[in-house]
Amino acid sequence: MNIYLNNAATGWPRAHNVIKAVSYMLEHQPSNSGRVSAESDTIIGECRKLVARLLDVSDPSRIILTVNATHALNLAIHGLNLGNNDHIITTVLEHNSVLRPVNHLREKYPGLRISVINLDNNGQLDYEKFSQALSAEPTVVIINHASNVTGHIYDVAGLFSDAKKAGAITVLDATQTTGAIPVSPMRLNADLVAFTGHKALHGPPGTGGLYVSPELELKQVYVGGTGIRSDMALHPPEMPLRLEAGTPNSPAIAGLHAALQWHEKKGNEYSKLTGKYIQRLYEELSEIRGVSIFDKNSDVDRVGVISFKIEGWSVEETGYILAESFGIICRTGLHCAPLIHKAIGSAPEGTVRFSVSGFNTDEDIMCAIKAIRKLSS
Amino acid sequence: MKICNKIKVEDCFDGSSVFEYFFNSAWSKNEIYSLECMGHLEYFPEFPRPFFRVIQKGGLQIKGVEGDTKCRVILPKKNREKTEILLENTFSNI
Repeated sequence: MNIYLNNAATGWPRAHNVIKAVSYMLEHQPSNSGRVSAESDTIIGECRKLVARLLDVSDPSRIILTVNATHALNLAIHGLNLGNNDHIITTVLEHNSVLRPVNHLREKYPGLRISVINLDNNGQLDYEKFSQALSAEPTVVIINHASNVTGHIYDVAGLFSDAKKAGAITVLDATQTTGAIPVSPMRLNADLVAFTGHKALHGPPGTGGLYVSPELELKQVYVGGTGIRSDMALHPPEMPLRLEAGTPNSPAIAGLHAALQWHEKKGNEYSKLTGKYIQRLYEELSEIRGVSIFDKNSDVDRVGVISFKIEGWSVEETGYILAESFGIICRTGLHCAPLIHKAIGSAPEGTVRFSVSGFNTDEDIMCAIKAIRKLSS
Repeated sequence: MKICNKIKVEDCFDGSSVFEYFFNSAWSKNEIYSLECMGHLEYFPEFPRPFFRVIQKGGLQIKGVEGDTKCRVILPKKNREKTEILLENTFSNI
């Protein structure tokens, strides 16, 4: 069995009962005919409630269930009705799930202004540049809660507070943090929060969602079947159906529901283990000659991610050898976040990334450290 | 070694020149050393599964692991077709 250190891509193994819940939904005859009418009784409604509880949101109808965080971010970015007179502020931390929708919008609206905030020498977002951008009538501010390349968790509450004072709508990409640390839209001053179910929550792939503030009404990007009120010519305007069209992936949602139940019981314990393992990797890899860690600042909070490279080996080759020779599964390259690499000094080839979870063991971490020692000797 | 399959490897970059070759038998130490004719060979027996790589000045790279039935190849942009034919002939003659 290989050692799995690619949890920032997808959390593995799946949480307790996830597989059973998915199988149950596939094996058993569907019972309810409608969707919203039975919302409170269905697994979908229950899942929405658990997500709301996780995000400290009082009204579950503000939680839109999507097929992943990319879907959620597209619903958010395209749902804001942006155009030529708008100004988006975002950062070099962002994943392509933010950058590409934003770039596609600019293709459509050449007058759309985009400010991309860089990192300062400490790996923090350049606050001076951020403040300058805020003074130029921002419409939307989109920030990644934690980098999927470095694991660095950003203090978005203050940045979003300033953004809201400047009149901007705030969008949080909480893909790496949901399930790993507390994510509360209210405390973080976020109007929209995108998350996924298959990373720190260890739910099935193909699950995720978007929190939408009651202050906001997003444009409907997808419209169609809802299973109820079929006599209406237009898609129902009420949340959550307003932003959910078509048959939901109920087996996957049942799996997410099981993952959320597991997380309520075990999430803290597993997050602590994740913290212990990543700290160990930072400490040990820092001591190995020939290993360069990117964004090494020890004063910051992190999710379970470390990025590095080894002298004498290309990043791609390191990943290949770790997988094929040592049986360690990790990720190499740009990690779908192309802009951060110039800022942290890992351009153009990117990094080798280890991303751990509470399902790893002390032995996994020791094996990984030994493998890196061997490769750098 | 008979080539059974060849697939393009997609990664973060333009993967049009990266291929995984699959063979009917596994790479042994002797077979690995027979790749010396293709470029500079490095063999790392100290790894849990010994790793090898061949780097040619023209840009061709071959890498793999002893005991495996596959290897990864990066074809050069220049003289790509010629190199590919030569490489596949070399594999077939091992």
